[in-house]
Amino acid sequence: MRARTQDTKQNKGPTPVGTQAVTYRGASDAEIKNRETKPIRQRPGSGTIAESMIQKLGWALLSIVGALGLAGIALNRDEHINSMWLIVASVSIYLTAYRFYAKFIEAKVMALDDRRATPAERLRDGHDFEPTNKWIVFGHHFAAIAGPGPLVGPTLAAQFGYLPGTLWIIVGAALGGCVQDFVILFCSMRRDGKTLGQMAREEIGKVGGVVALVTVLLIMVILLAVVALVVVNALAHSPWGTFTIFATMPIAVFMGLYLRYLRPGKVLECSAIGFALVIASIFGGEAVANSPEWAPVFTYSAVALALMVIAYGFLASSLPVWLLLAPRDYLSTFVKLGVVVMLAVGILFARPELQMPAYTKFIDGSGPVFAGKIFPFCFITIACGAISGFHALISSGTTPKLIARESHATPVGYGSMLLESFVAIMAMIAACVLDPGVYFAVNSPAGIAGATPELAAATITAWGFPVDAAKMASLAKDVGEQTLFYRTGGAPSLALGMAHIFAQGGGGKAILGFWYHFAIMFEALFILTIIDAGTRVGRFMLQDLLGHIHKPLGRTNWMPGVIGCSALVVGSWGYFLYQGVKDPLGGVNTLWPLFGIANQLLASIALCVATTILLKMHRAKYLWITCLPLSWLLIVTYTAALEKIFSDLPRVGFLAQARQLEGAIAAGKVAAAKVADTQTMIFNAQLDAGICVVFLILVSIIVIDSARVWIGILRGNRDATVHESPFVLTQLKAEEV
Amino acid sequence: MMSRLRELGRILLGILKEIGDENAYARHLTARGVPPSKAEWRLFSEDRMKRKYMRAKCC
Repeated sequence: MRARTQDTKQNKGPTPVGTQAVTYRGASDAEIKNRETKPIRQRPGSGTIAESMIQKLGWALLSIVGALGLAGIALNRDEHINSMWLIVASVSIYLTAYRFYAKFIEAKVMALDDRRATPAERLRDGHDFEPTNKWIVFGHHFAAIAGPGPLVGPTLAAQFGYLPGTLWIIVGAALGGCVQDFVILFCSMRRDGKTLGQMAREEIGKVGGVVALVTVLLIMVILLAVVALVVVNALAHSPWGTFTIFATMPIAVFMGLYLRYLRPGKVLECSAIGFALVIASIFGGEAVANSPEWAPVFTYSAVALALMVIAYGFLASSLPVWLLLAPRDYLSTFVKLGVVVMLAVGILFARPELQMPAYTKFIDGSGPVFAGKIFPFCFITIACGAISGFHALISSGTTPKLIARESHATPVGYGSMLLESFVAIMAMIAACVLDPGVYFAVNSPAGIAGATPELAAATITAWGFPVDAAKMASLAKDVGEQTLFYRTGGAPSLALGMAHIFAQGGGGKAILGFWYHFAIMFEALFILTIIDAGTRVGRFMLQDLLGHIHKPLGRTNWMPGVIGCSALVVGSWGYFLYQGVKDPLGGVNTLWPLFGIANQLLASIALCVATTILLKMHRAKYLWITCLPLSWLLIVTYTAALEKIFSDLPRVGFLAQARQLEGAIAAGKVAAAKVADTQTMIFNAQLDAGICVVFLILVSIIVIDSARVWIGILRGNRDATVHESPFVLTQLKAEEV
Repeated sequence: MMSRLRELGRILLGILKEIGDENAYARHLTARGVPPSKAEWRLFSEDRMKRKYMRAKCC
């Protein structure tokens, strides 16, 4: 191999090389010399032989507990199992994976070096770059990666039963998602916090950088549409939920004004006030729902709500950030973390039994929540709970600029994703503690289950999951809703499951309505923040791209460009949202797989970049670390995308759906008044197929481009230059980290 | 035991302050050597938010 690396040469000595402004702080020559000869971090297991034996025994026991837990989950068929099986199995495996696999990658593959100054130290500026306590970075990173994906995905995948999703969440995270986040964080940290796009451009080529940018923009559009659909379906015909969410807007504006004019900088104080007001608005929502005068004012159809969300997205992304987005972002992040902790405590306290079977008949692809067989659609649907391409954007964003020691990348990169995976396990538990009949009644669209509650209940009972309309009506009354049928999207069933768990802490049915709407508020709060922030980011990306065609369009202060690009971004996701709410199959059936495919393809891009960098670092013998999840993702996503395009089943394949609708029009089976709508549905199905094709082309380009680089390096006819920042000896003292 | 709890509380508060940008604001004030004020917060938060919301939020 004819490879030249700056790294191998520079690792031999501590001499600072490069042009960055380096701040040397406080260490004497003797201390520096000492650091050169002695590792700063003690290796694990460096105690006495007895301590070492106890540790080994402990890890062996934990591994056995994990294996037994998994066996208990996998082999149980006839009885309901307790949720603690899932908790014990997942936590044991997470800890074992962290102790052995993450540490193996840390030591053997990436050779993290605590003597090496991180960008946080070398480029310290008091703003972005700042060496920070590892647990604070861990919390910050986890808050940044935790979104609606790991909550909604497992909830939807519960239609296959609890077993397939649970296994993939645990295994996928340990071998795939955590590895991706960890390696990308490491790569970005060694490159002064460069973004995924910049690394793709530098390590693979210009094509890779452009493809990454376009892919992210497309994913943003699908993501915004699908999360907006989740909110719309949760709030449709729900005056309680709608009032609560409407109330969060003036509350956020009040918080913005409070922070700007009354108590500048007091974010925690302001968020505590905002939280108290939001809780008050949940009680206000109950009063509104019970008021014959006010309830109709806040009762909207899904279509009306979709139009409101679209208008909101445009207006909110045009408002000053400090007024609405930033204060609500603070609030939603705190609420999100609080709810994750509450859910964990609630599950440990209530230890509920799972009502859903280990697997259901819908593994054959006939599921009402979304169509498609367990392979590949279980993996596509779980998405963020196991592997999320979006995490690569966060791992190459703020986080690498805060890490004080290279070894902190392990708990932050690998550990945070393990925690995210645990959130997905909790979401799976919340969905599976519901009676399966209730779960399917909530998540099945009218187009499949039947147009009336009685018909839907009969259909679902015929599937083998008994439920009756009276029971559903009673449950709806308990949670303060008019109906719980056809509430597709995952959010309402997740909220029901969470309310069920929280209510076991005290209050029972009397408090079920509060907890249900608390959960809906929590989900809607951060989804609206994603819509607002995502529209802005999409606009910046679009302006960045269009600026190459017409320069003024690239300027973020040129109002025609800002308004035009905002309208284009909102119009794009708004179109898919509108398509989703009009879809008789519930919208989620179409949009969530599209989102899952896009997300997993972004993860493939990230793993291509990671593989290229490992190869350039002479780690060819460890390439399986990234190639294993990469190969799996490519197999899963290509299969899913091709099935979504070409499957003969109209519920699965977009083109088959278009053909079926065309056939219905041609055969005169569509009423004259519905022909225009049907033609729109045909166009939408063809458009969705086109989107899948674009995704496949984009990722194929980057995979082929990467493979070209890999083969070149392995054959020795391509330089393997890594673009790492130069080695600089750390000057940070132990007490500073 | 109490010292460990205090340490845990300190870390939790640190996480909340980091998420809420209060730590970053404190660093900003230290770097500029100025006391907190409306003008400084405005200066800090506008720059901070401008960069923060040019990046994608996670799903």
